[in-house]
Amino acid sequence: MHDSSGRITVQNLSKTFGQIPAVQNLSFTVEPGSVTGFLGPNGAGKTTTLRMLLGLVQPTAGGTTINGRPFNQLTNPGRVVGAVLEAQSFHPKRTARNHLRVYTAAMGLPDRRADEVLGLVGLAEAAHRAAGGFSMGMKQRLALATALLGDPQVLVLDEPTNGLDPEGIAWLRTFLRSFASGGRTVLISSHLLAEVEQTIDQVVIISRGQTMYYGQLDDLRKSQQTRIIVQPADAGALVTALQEGGITGIEPTPDGKVAVTGSSVQQIGDIAAKASIALYGVQEEKADLEQLFFRLTSGQYVGQLPGVPGQQPATPGQQPGMPPQAPGMPPQAMPPQGMPPQGMPPQAPGTPPQGYPPQQQPPAGPPQPYQQGPPPPGYQQGPPPPGYDQQQPGHGQHGGWGGQA
Amino acid sequence: MGNLIKAEFRKVLTTKLWWGLLIPTFVLSFAWSLGVGALIDDVSSNVADEPILRQVGLNTSELPWAIFALTRSINIAMIFPMIFGALGLATELHRKTITTSFLTASSRSALLTAKAITYALWGAIFGLVITLSASLGTVLAADSSILPGFGDWLLIVLAGLIAAVLWTLLGLGVGALIGAPVGTLVLLLIYALIIGPIAELVITGISEGGIWAGLMPNGAGNGLTGSTAGQVIVDTVRTAIENANVMVNESAVDALEVALRIAAGAPGAMVWWASGLVFLAWSLALFGAGMLRNQKRDIT
Repeated sequence: MHDSSGRITVQNLSKTFGQIPAVQNLSFTVEPGSVTGFLGPNGAGKTTTLRMLLGLVQPTAGGTTINGRPFNQLTNPGRVVGAVLEAQSFHPKRTARNHLRVYTAAMGLPDRRADEVLGLVGLAEAAHRAAGGFSMGMKQRLALATALLGDPQVLVLDEPTNGLDPEGIAWLRTFLRSFASGGRTVLISSHLLAEVEQTIDQVVIISRGQTMYYGQLDDLRKSQQTRIIVQPADAGALVTALQEGGITGIEPTPDGKVAVTGSSVQQIGDIAAKASIALYGVQEEKADLEQLFFRLTSGQYVGQLPGVPGQQPATPGQQPGMPPQAPGMPPQAMPPQGMPPQGMPPQAPGTPPQGYPPQQQPPAGPPQPYQQGPPPPGYQQGPPPPGYDQQQPGHGQHGGWGGQA
Repeated sequence: MGNLIKAEFRKVLTTKLWWGLLIPTFVLSFAWSLGVGALIDDVSSNVADEPILRQVGLNTSELPWAIFALTRSINIAMIFPMIFGALGLATELHRKTITTSFLTASSRSALLTAKAITYALWGAIFGLVITLSASLGTVLAADSSILPGFGDWLLIVLAGLIAAVLWTLLGLGVGALIGAPVGTLVLLLIYALIIGPIAELVITGISEGGIWAGLMPNGAGNGLTGSTAGQVIVDTVRTAIENANVMVNESAVDALEVALRIAAGAPGAMVWWASGLVFLAWSLALFGAGMLRNQKRDIT
């Protein structure tokens, strides 16, 4: 009684717990044959969204469908959707195999399926051990085995890499890619882009319950602006020469350097040579995806590090705390909610980056919460922005099983 | 539905709770009936002073007093099916296994219905163990002259089975409402073992034979078996009186029946079928509320 497409749609989804809005007007589509990353910081509303998709939480407004139907209308949901959720658990005294056999019975599957999925996730040896004695990684594998029991067309995973060792993460990556390449659908949430970057094709980034970016990961990559930092003998002369050369993205930095976007090292070198300005250093800077992700999701938890200006919420049109000398790249304005799902188109080459130069005010329009705050210092040489610690993300900072509210 | 019931049975049978509770159920019910059976002489000599019995020259030593050993041990052992039911949904909610259960069931109501059917069947299994072990203890402790006849015994067993099923569903419902195993158990045990029995005695004393105690869940549950036992004795007495061609003094019979219900462990209880209906209403109300709560509950 469903269209078997494997498509997931989320439309204008909202959920309020008491007074607290967890998810606000979220819309996106997950196409079959792809792995879609669902990213956002802890508390952004990822888990709530996935639980609404699975009929575990009632939306306040909007709705979700899988195969064109709400979850609750699927006749044998376990054979359409498999889910690995954070707050999903096992009876500690029940063995892995008995746990699975409960659900083969519930779904009307032959019991040998329990042994098949145990083999699939590499738990065959532990089949007769009680799940209470499992390590975090083994529990994640058992949760995945449970999700795979019904041979589902759609797989939904909430922070599945939590507790997995690097080998397990690599294995999961390969598994999900091959699962999706067979025309099935994978939606995987994470609070760390780096952990799923290799796995996903499409990405939905949310923060404070709202969509920040929705589209192909490649498009997000292409949107990166390369910035060139030049250290000239005479900054003023170089700026003038560059402007005469038709380059617009020029920005003097406080330490006497000049930051240039929308140009190339060769072009700048040529112009400087022609104007007889000595260059003492030329440096190319490219913000990586993780920094962009941080920029899109920053401001959820406002913290402050010594020497870094606090990230204060600001309305578009007035951005207090933004030093004109160090603009960075402002967050790319997203179309309002309900936009067509094409995502953010890559910027055409030569187009000046939005919000640049710094004197230019951000485009007027309805207040968009994701434009709050000064641009994160993705290019800044100073200390890292609040909340973005320098430690390599991905290891040693997992919240653990059920760690996310 | 068959698949979901099969899954629920596997959930029960793959953990130790079922036999971990059935063993004490058997022990308590058996030991209690042995003890009460030994005390039966006291009870029978107290009741023998009833003027109505002297009036017809009834031989009190031949009345089926042992039936009280049966009902009292059945009533006390009802805490086990209640505990079993109480843990049925509360542990799933507490351990979050309810998430997978909901994800693999065709609908929430289908899962909850399967659970209700499964636990009703388990309630009957508990009821069977309780009534049989109580019968065994009674037979061993009491003289054969005061044992009930087969028909009366069967009536008590049936009442015990129904009570066990209803206690299980009541526990299931309360557990589903509260959602935490410890809280559910504390609440139910304190009520069933302390508050309920004391309140029923007090209420019966104050209201002088009013039905209020019999309207409480515990009182109604005990009344199901206790009043059946009282009824069995009263019927025996009434038959003896009628055979002696003496006018039956109805108010004396009523007073005797009230006293017998107290002796059976069901003070203030109504007649057995009314007790049964009241207890059914309590069980279904609490069970229904628990199911309704989980029909829409956000599983986070």
